[in-house]
Amino acid sequence: MNKEYSCKVLKREMLTQDTAYLTIDCPEIAQKAIPGQFVNVSCSRFLKRPFGIASTDKENGTFNIGIKIVGGGSGELASIPEGTVINVLGPLGNGFDLSSDSYILVSGGTGVFPINFAYETLRASGKDVTMVQGFRDKSQICLTSDDYIVTTDSGDYGIKGTCIAGLDTIDLKKDQIVCCVGPVPMMKAVGSWAEAKRLKCYISMEQRMACGIGICLVCVCKKKAEQEGVPFEHVRCCKDGPVFEYGEVIL
Amino acid sequence: MTRLGVKVGSVSLKSPLILASGTCNFGHELSEYYDLSILGGLSSKGLTIKPRAGNEGVRVAETASGMLNSVGLQNPGVDYFIEHDLDYMRSLNTGVIVNVAGHSFDDYMAMIEKLDPHKDKIDALEINLSCPNVKAGCMSIGTDPAQIREIVSAMRSRTDLPLWIKLTPNVTDIKSMALAAQNAGADAVVLINTLLGMVIDIKTRRPVLRNNTGGYSGPAVKPIAIRMVAECSKVLDIPIIGCGGVMDYKDVLEFMIAGASAVEIGTASLIHPTCPVDITRDLTDYCKSNNIDLSDLTGTLELW
Ligand SMILES: Cc1cc2nc3c(=O)[nH]c(=O)nc-3n(C[C@H](O)[C@H](O)[C@H](O)COP(=O)(O)OP(=O)(O)OC[C@H]3O[C@@H](n4cnc5c(N)ncnc54)[C@H](O)[C@@H]3O)c2cc1C
Ligand SMILES: Cc1cc2nc3c(=O)[nH]c(=O)nc-3n(C[C@H](O)[C@H](O)[C@H](O)COP(=O)(O)O)c2cc1C
Ligand code: FES
Repeated sequence: MNKEYSCKVLKREMLTQDTAYLTIDCPEIAQKAIPGQFVNVSCSRFLKRPFGIASTDKENGTFNIGIKIVGGGSGELASIPEGTVINVLGPLGNGFDLSSDSYILVSGGTGVFPINFAYETLRASGKDVTMVQGFRDKSQICLTSDDYIVTTDSGDYGIKGTCIAGLDTIDLKKDQIVCCVGPVPMMKAVGSWAEAKRLKCYISMEQRMACGIGICLVCVCKKKAEQEGVPFEHVRCCKDGPVFEYGEVIL
Repeated sequence: MTRLGVKVGSVSLKSPLILASGTCNFGHELSEYYDLSILGGLSSKGLTIKPRAGNEGVRVAETASGMLNSVGLQNPGVDYFIEHDLDYMRSLNTGVIVNVAGHSFDDYMAMIEKLDPHKDKIDALEINLSCPNVKAGCMSIGTDPAQIREIVSAMRSRTDLPLWIKLTPNVTDIKSMALAAQNAGADAVVLINTLLGMVIDIKTRRPVLRNNTGGYSGPAVKPIAIRMVAECSKVLDIPIIGCGGVMDYKDVLEFMIAGASAVEIGTASLIHPTCPVDITRDLTDYCKSNNIDLSDLTGTLELW
């Protein structure tokens, strides 16, 4: 059975000026989580807040989330004192398809967190991974490495431009799968880039959520209808996603 | 029957706790969290004759102690439900309540005709005359005693299934709505559905909800629901199912004292999916330590 866990925040560090990285004690979530899944975390607000799982440590029974401060709930969680116990539901939703041998991972903004987990998992199973990270500017860069292709909109670090500029520098292989998490315009651009190269591409959606487990239907994404006469259907971001194959939901 | 057992008219439930419509879907997801057979029942997502995609854009807005939703009755349609979800709900070994919505008199009658042949699998029909999130029907019917009477008596003549009429709190005098339902042959009333509300984003000066307004639920609405249950309990002969803002066992007791025979849990499941497990445990302890059957509490309120 799934359950709601009470977990201790073991460690909090600031990755950038407005982004915190929490290490949370929960052996069950660390054991079960797959890249692309998220957790729904309580704070003093009425509803929980969803965050992508950024990393797991099965041995120590911990997982990580990265929190960019955009409002009250994220602000509170980003400054939470170490040792605080929080309620966490998870791991939730569907993760990426990890069946291929070769991957291109692309992140923008807070997409850096779920993509980081995908990178770690794929590398640990010895797969070929090319990582492309897009940031607004140098001040936003986090969870990076010299092995990655980094682009910045401002051009003050790495390649100047969007992550498409980074993608265009890669020698493509057959059956490579692209996984992309970031703002919708970026996922659109990466999705159509992948389509043009005939590569399978997965994206991850964000919607405002309440339950996070599929029972309230507030978090829907639009999908092309299978039935005729209906303009579109709605699928739940939390339960049917957040990861979808590019083209499955209307961006 | 254990000490938690209650009766809602002819319907016996093993516990007063029923999961409220729209906050448990058809039970599949929550059964990954606990054994739903501890519940008195489960009320399906509001169903309509045709499938509905629901409203577009942002559908949830948070408040200090509640939330607004504007889902807009997204559902797969009654035919799909009968084929794919009804047997599953029956297999959960708990009361099966089917929530029925519509836009017109004809819609509701067509729904009864679809569901009545499956009466062996259904414990009660919960007639939603109160959804605030769709343009026509539903809530506008539930704010007019004459329309309530017309629709409930027509349903009464078409089915023997228990009819629980779910009313909207967006009225001046809830008693006249409840009496209209009772006099037309309803077996129970469910009080309350959500309150119509609005939340504004001060940066954009636009409503947060793409539908502008939404249905307000959660602990913030509980005092309104309790007041309505207490008022109706004084004038009705049929049972009341209380609903609105239940978060813990004390809220359940409060509803029962006010006059409810059973109590629905809605928004609380979105916050803590397993809260009915805790509430069941706490109610059991309460009955034990006070040496009472829970149903003895119903309507024991003494007004000043
Ligand atoms: C599946 C999923 C995974 C996510 N992963 C991450 C992550 O790894 N790191 C991270 O920093 N953020 C992530 N988010 C976004 C994060 O949930 C929101 O930033 C957070 O809930 C905002 O809460 P708040 O109280 O600070 O903001 P509020 O004060 O509620 O709102 C401030 C702003 O945030 C936006 N917002 C509010 N709720 C959400 C929401 N549920 N989703 C998207 N935007 C929202 C609002 O539109 C508003 O502009 C994710 C969201 C989803 C749905
Ligand atoms: C997301 C959501 C969806 C709902 N959908 C329905 C519905 O389809 N039919 C219905 O009769 N009530 C619906 N409701 C109302 C609830 O069943 C309940 O009456 C209301 O939320 C008050 O109870 P609560 O405060 O415990 O949530 C919905 C409520 C929420 C929060
Ligand atoms: S947040 Fe409730 S269904 Fe997705």
